[in-house]
Amino acid sequence: MGVEKAARVLRGIRDSLEDEEPAAVATVGVMAGALLASLVGFLLVSSLTIVPFGIFVVTAGYGWLRHQELTAKTLALAMTVSTILILLLITAFIFREAVPVIEYETATVFGVAVPGLRLFIQPEWEAVTPPVRYSMVPMIHGTVLVTLIATAVAAPLGIAAALFISEIAPAPVREAVKPGVEILAGIPSIVYGFIGFTILSPWASDQFQILGQGTYLFVGIVVGLMALPTVVSVAEDALASVPESMKSGSLAMGTTDWQTMTSITLPAAFSGVSAAVLLGVGRAIGETMAATVMLRGVPRLTDPLYNAFYGQETLTSLIARNYGEAEGLQMSALFVAGVILFITVLFLSIGSQYIEARMRSKLGGEQ
Amino acid sequence: MAAETDTRNRNPLVRDDASGTGLVAAGAVGLSALLFVVSLAVLFQAVDLTDAVAGVPVVTLLGGGLVVLGAATVAFGVGSRLGFVETEPQASAGMLAGVVFAATWVVVAGLVASQTLGLGTAGWLVASLAVGGGVFALSVGTREDVGSTVPAGALAAMAGLVFLAGIIGPEWVWDLGFEQKASFTGGFTVPTVTLFCSLVAGWASAKAYGGFGARGRHTGAYTLVYLNAGSIVGVLFLLLAFTVFKGISGLVNGFAVGLGAGPESTIVLLGQSISWEWPFYLPFVMNGVGLTNDFNGVLPAIVGTVWLVVGAVLFAVPLGVGAAVFLTEYAERGRFTQAVEVATNGLWSTPSIVFGLFGFAFLIPRFGNGKSLLSGMLTLGFMLLPLVVITSREAMLSVPDEYRDASAALGVTKWQTIRSVVLPAALPGVVTGIILGVGRIAGETAPILLTMAGGVFVPGSQTPDVIGGFAFTSTPPFVENPVLLDAASALPYQLYALITAGVGASGNVANPDEFKWATALVLLVVVLSFYAIGIAARYYFRRELNQ
Amino acid sequence: MSETTQTPTESQQNTTTTGEPETTAGETEEQVREEWRDYQFAGEAKLSVEDLDVYYGDDHALKGVSMDIPENSVTALIGPSGCGKSTFLRCLNRMNDRVKSARIDGSVELDGEEIYQEGVNLVELRKRVGMVFQSPNPFPKSIAENISYGPRKHGDIETGLLARLLGRSNEDERDELVERCLRDAALWDEVSDRLDDNALGLSGGQQQRLCIARCLSVDPEVILMDEPASALDPIATAKIEDLIDDLSEHYTVVIVTHNMQQAARISDQTAVFLTGGELVEYDDTEKIFEQPESQRVEEYISGKFG
Repeated sequence: MGVEKAARVLRGIRDSLEDEEPAAVATVGVMAGALLASLVGFLLVSSLTIVPFGIFVVTAGYGWLRHQELTAKTLALAMTVSTILILLLITAFIFREAVPVIEYETATVFGVAVPGLRLFIQPEWEAVTPPVRYSMVPMIHGTVLVTLIATAVAAPLGIAAALFISEIAPAPVREAVKPGVEILAGIPSIVYGFIGFTILSPWASDQFQILGQGTYLFVGIVVGLMALPTVVSVAEDALASVPESMKSGSLAMGTTDWQTMTSITLPAAFSGVSAAVLLGVGRAIGETMAATVMLRGVPRLTDPLYNAFYGQETLTSLIARNYGEAEGLQMSALFVAGVILFITVLFLSIGSQYIEARMRSKLGGEQ
Repeated sequence: MAAETDTRNRNPLVRDDASGTGLVAAGAVGLSALLFVVSLAVLFQAVDLTDAVAGVPVVTLLGGGLVVLGAATVAFGVGSRLGFVETEPQASAGMLAGVVFAATWVVVAGLVASQTLGLGTAGWLVASLAVGGGVFALSVGTREDVGSTVPAGALAAMAGLVFLAGIIGPEWVWDLGFEQKASFTGGFTVPTVTLFCSLVAGWASAKAYGGFGARGRHTGAYTLVYLNAGSIVGVLFLLLAFTVFKGISGLVNGFAVGLGAGPESTIVLLGQSISWEWPFYLPFVMNGVGLTNDFNGVLPAIVGTVWLVVGAVLFAVPLGVGAAVFLTEYAERGRFTQAVEVATNGLWSTPSIVFGLFGFAFLIPRFGNGKSLLSGMLTLGFMLLPLVVITSREAMLSVPDEYRDASAALGVTKWQTIRSVVLPAALPGVVTGIILGVGRIAGETAPILLTMAGGVFVPGSQTPDVIGGFAFTSTPPFVENPVLLDAASALPYQLYALITAGVGASGNVANPDEFKWATALVLLVVVLSFYAIGIAARYYFRRELNQ
Repeated sequence: MSETTQTPTESQQNTTTTGEPETTAGETEEQVREEWRDYQFAGEAKLSVEDLDVYYGDDHALKGVSMDIPENSVTALIGPSGCGKSTFLRCLNRMNDRVKSARIDGSVELDGEEIYQEGVNLVELRKRVGMVFQSPNPFPKSIAENISYGPRKHGDIETGLLARLLGRSNEDERDELVERCLRDAALWDEVSDRLDDNALGLSGGQQQRLCIARCLSVDPEVILMDEPASALDPIATAKIEDLIDDLSEHYTVVIVTHNMQQAARISDQTAVFLTGGELVEYDDTEKIFEQPESQRVEEYISGKFG
């Protein structure tokens, strides 16, 4: 099956090349070979990488002047491949770096050694004094708490704001609110973190009589505010994709605008709106800097578990805070946190894309 | 066929809105807005609960306001039920309102029973469920005018009475008894409860103002949606205003205008050196940190950010646009393009810190084993790449196929068509997308944390000079640029370093706090100018296209 | 409710139905208009429009249109595209309020009550003046839910958990309503066995009849139709036309069409709009198609332009 497919692709390439001039094919061949060689050289950390790369640049330049058609197509293909390659490289490298600690934290269940299991079944993070133990449990707990609070902020407010922008606001107001939401997305996370750190954290310590500074509650609220624009813009797209004729149909029945929104527009756009929330959740999980500067940086579970008034550490802030002094196993543990983040968010992204695609085909089918 | 004309049951076409009773509901809405604003002011500590307004402490005012608000809300609902007010209520307030009211009252009753009355677990559970059930029955079982106003009004009135009686006052503290200590204080509870009650009662009275029924619900919901939108814009404005307010004094420190006031700058171009003197002097963005400086600044970080952005754009834009061209113009739409689409979208939502880790593991060993400007550029380039692919693809897909067909029908080759028809038509979208993406990466801290780093207070001598850094060597890789391979600072990183450096580290900076806020302000200005340009470009292109 | 009737026009004399067979070349359009303004139909006026002007931004889309629409009959609005006939139709239930740039001057009265005055309840207005759109727009819900949507939103039909808990559920009434509306829209026989299927699975013609059934569910007095058959094949169109004929027994139907044969087949009176948003002539359908007063209308009818 796979072989057949590869053969078909190769045949396809050969067929398409047959129409081209041999000189063009040769140029493109040299170009592709040189690019491949530079990639290999780069991966092997060779200082000679520059040689094949130079050849690539020269042949590409020559090809551009003499055989632009084929060169352009090949370059475009190479760029596409590079994009995919980057995703693969990211996956490969962060996994590779995570391996040592996964092996170190092997736990035995019913006589079967499961690598990395102990990272998730015991809550102690002890990086200095032996026995050295790494655990992801406190950080996962922190990330879950922050994400829950952030979603509780971003989802309802974001959907309401999306309804406002797409359905309710008069044109001039919309023209003002929409860029406003975008600018909210533009404020760097470190600025949010700075304001949270200097203003919110001391205030929260004061109001709730907390010892020290840093609470998941306020990190969650700040992160929710940062995830808000994502929810708003994606949900707004989904709402806008509901055909106007459907909305008019409802209004012509004598329903109010609000009834039309809740009974026609929102249900029709439901999957798109949930995709928006999923993407917002992804943003909240991945948010780093605000969490790093606002949290305590002590990896432990809060006591009791639902005590969101204390903020210890999240997966992201663990990495940002410890990369400096970390070495060996501890560095590897940071990569485990990265792997967890990467996989979770990738799944959220794929999930939301799937939902959106389904909605598009559903709404598109009726037109 | 259908019913006869005489059986049609009609309400009047024109509703008389001018009745005086509407004023009660409108007044209640206004009162809730007032309470909302005052409790926000208390929460942000602009006003203290014990401050006196006209001789009455704020907490009493809030309590009294809530009682009046609750009474007005209930009165309107009951008045409507008894027929004193002309409304068009539906038979029930609906499931959603019932559940929300019941949940609120379950919490209230549970807290009162367990904390105030000191009942045991069984006791407060029974009490709260009984109250919750009662409220649910009341709100869904009676006509809408009663069901949606009485539970809301009673809640507000009760909270108001509790504040008035001093049961919860400024000095009140409720220790939650957690292992890690936390308490609710009066200073937080009073304004928060007021906030919540004013929202609930405000919604109920907005509904009443609309006359209940479909129109009432419309009015109530719109009130909340408008409030939400207003709050978001308000928060945005507050954030910006606050940063400007705190940062402006540090930024304009030593500002001078006039010929010869500024430092001299020199650019070497093709062996020709061009020098000019700035006609103004803004030391914060024109200096580094130095012992001899009168005024210290963040020039190295600004230049570092500029180079970062330039490097990332040089890397990501050709790659991304090329990939988008291939995907939209050459590749058959199918599995492959779908996979690439999923991959790029996945890359776009990948957390920035993961890009940092990748750069750390992949780039640093390949560029001299140390954090460097080049690694930072490429890491941010990796981040920018998916966005460039996504926006360019969107822009190219929105170019109508007729353009391509028209060009192809003239016998023009595919690449010529792309170059002279598709790309120019897609250019506005691509440019706008890139500018917005650049705004995002310019403010990113996490990826450069692991790949580029830099210092807390960076001396002016460390301002990267990338163009002047190139040199040729006889050994591979034949070209070297130590500047690219050195650690450099960038604005977001410097702000982070300043925050984590704590109070002790001050370098030569006289007022570190002012320095931090000014850095934050400069960062905000840099990033938001990208956004402003991006948004403006979009408006401009859209207007051009519409003409 | 009030059944106050209103005299459509001051003059009770019918001066236009008999007269010269030809349009006199010297007659100005103004004179033509004066003549048909005295047009007197049988029955009472349901809607009366007086000096209606609509602007979209700077574009003057309708110019001073005045006409009375008789009760329980079919009134066709014809004219070339862009002549403002759809705009006119959407003024009758104030759907043009949705268009932000639209400005509307003039008066429209429904049973003698002005619909453009302060404090008009749009919910009530649109319940009484229903609308069927150009392309079928069923909601992405089941067939039965499409029909019961309006009454449910207006609180006349209650189903679901809460209503059942409170003993107010009237599912029987709903089922009756669904059947009655579908029968009235001549769709019952085709869909009675799949009422719970998604309405988007129906054919175009069925979807349009479903939209008509949905419109009937709130028991309107007037039904506005905006080229209801333009997206349908000839067989589906024929079914819709038969349906319109049946509907006119109980409802006042106003239909926009660009198909002159269709207007001639189904309507009792016809109004001709020509480019520029003017109502050029309004009369009995027969008269319009056989002996139009205006030169331009005659040219349009005979296909010389438009």
